[in-house]
Amino acid sequence: MAWIVQNRLQPYTPTRSEPYITEKIRKEIEEKYFPRYPTKRAALLPLFHLIMHEYGFIAAQAIDEAATLLGISASEVQDAATFYEEFRFEPSGKYVVNVCRSIACELCGHEKVLAKIKEIFGIENFETTEDGLITLFEVECLGLCEFAPAALINGERQCNLTPDGFVETLKKLPKEVAPHDNGH
Amino acid sequence: MAFNGPILLKRIPDEASQRKLIRYDDYVASGGYKAYNQALAMKPEDIINVVKDSGLRGRGGAGFPCGVKWTFLPKDIFPRYLAVNYDESEPCTFKDRYLCEYDPHVLLEGIAIAGIANRISASYIFIRGEYHTQAKILEEALKEAYEKGIFGKAYPGTDIVHHCYVHRGAGAYICGEETGLLEALEGKRGWPRIKPPFPAVAGAFAKPTIINNVETLACLPYIVENGAAAFKAMGTPTSSGPKLMGVSGHVNKPGVYEEELGIPMGKLIEKYAGGVKGKYKAAFHGGISMGVLGTNQYDAPLDFDIGKAFGVLGLGTACVTVMNESTDMVKVARNCVRFYAHESCGQCTPCREGSAWAYKMLNRICDGRGKAKDLDLLLEIGLAQGIMPGTTICGLADGTNWVIKTILQKFPEEFKAKIKAESVQGVDVTVGGVKV
Repeated sequence: MAWIVQNRLQPYTPTRSEPYITEKIRKEIEEKYFPRYPTKRAALLPLFHLIMHEYGFIAAQAIDEAATLLGISASEVQDAATFYEEFRFEPSGKYVVNVCRSIACELCGHEKVLAKIKEIFGIENFETTEDGLITLFEVECLGLCEFAPAALINGERQCNLTPDGFVETLKKLPKEVAPHDNGH
Repeated sequence: MAFNGPILLKRIPDEASQRKLIRYDDYVASGGYKAYNQALAMKPEDIINVVKDSGLRGRGGAGFPCGVKWTFLPKDIFPRYLAVNYDESEPCTFKDRYLCEYDPHVLLEGIAIAGIANRISASYIFIRGEYHTQAKILEEALKEAYEKGIFGKAYPGTDIVHHCYVHRGAGAYICGEETGLLEALEGKRGWPRIKPPFPAVAGAFAKPTIINNVETLACLPYIVENGAAAFKAMGTPTSSGPKLMGVSGHVNKPGVYEEELGIPMGKLIEKYAGGVKGKYKAAFHGGISMGVLGTNQYDAPLDFDIGKAFGVLGLGTACVTVMNESTDMVKVARNCVRFYAHESCGQCTPCREGSAWAYKMLNRICDGRGKAKDLDLLLEIGLAQGIMPGTTICGLADGTNWVIKTILQKFPEEFKAKIKAESVQGVDVTVGGVKV
């Protein structure tokens, strides 16, 4: 067989005995977000932002827990959550680097910036460096066109990038970083 | 036509180093929330009439008259919701981000006024996921507004309490489409809905809902304070008022500027953005969905009538991205079509398959592997998708349609030049039946 068969019945992220939706997240959802909307389901996006903020990814187990909390089925939660690009279902590097590739940034030379990152760090789109520090995402317009070419590092805006300058910025990122600074 | 300096941007200095976040106290000190207090003393119908008379048209792209939209709400169905469209994801567009990054209260005052006029129970500011810092700024401003009693209290003479919340999206362009936005607000995938029912009748949570763009709402304080005539004095008869215009691409001073509608694009670029870097070739005048303005359309006036006169879809967001003579238009088309292929929500086949197919073809042409018949086929794929040919639910595919159509028709020789030489020999290369 040329391809590897994966057992899709197994969750692709680890399960654990304590819940992913901690007491703190549950309380915030129940007290702050549920009163805002007529339905519980509407708190889905805020809930997943909180989970992303806490863990940097959404574990399969968290989807089951979210279903219980929101009172809908797990498949409905998965259906909605997988639609959104910012929600990721596998752990990523400590720094998520979103490089804009839309038209204003392309006109101002984003391709050279991307090529340089790929060359220096040895990663492609969606990949993480071996030390687990940087994950690269090529994304569509970030709404930073006047600063083109632009990028976000964990939600922090980076403006008027040059290939060498941006690689320097990335190299200088501290190795130890608070997990909460992931832009969610 | 009389434009005497910025209205929406009046609190934000031109000089970048002097700009800072305008907090509640600074906002009030410079005349803020005066219109809100005025509106509190007015009858809802009077506010709606003044907005109608002002000729304020939606600033998000479609240009639908704001006051008329409000009158579509059924008379006696409550609660009513307001969804504020801050999902500014159109490539080249960054005006709302700039405005609310420094002056969030102008939006909140607009929301408060729209709330009074329509007896709104809850306003949801739907902000795109990528605007992390902007969402925090808005949350802070909202906290101030709640403390000062702008929100969280009943309208005079009623028991309807107006609440306002920030609801963050999570990275999907389609959520800027009004019904896609409502689905995302309800915690579902952002799939646009089939209309009718229209949101004004059954929108968020199946209740009457108004959806307005950030900039549209930000115009309300000025209109209420100064009256419809003052607003109408700016712009053209069919496109009244000031407009935020973001300029980017090959210009010397990219940024957001405010001018009255109807200003020629060339004047905007030269007066504010420091002129074109190099020689002008083409421009997206309102986000990529509206199509491209050609080399001889530099002086197109930016108003809602631009569509018919200059062979583009419409005004869009009036955020101009300029391209100079070094730009490869085939690559531009490829970039734009890739955007649609990536952001198509996948509901309607012509959009999902058509945009991906067109992207593959453009890749082929860019790599020099294009064939003589490709250009006609590309145009055919483009023209077959969208609301206007009636094949999709929402307007995303119309963006694909117009970007392919306008670039192909305005710059056919660039496409032809990239096509494999041997495939052209003895064959006519045509675009829509016209020989290139």
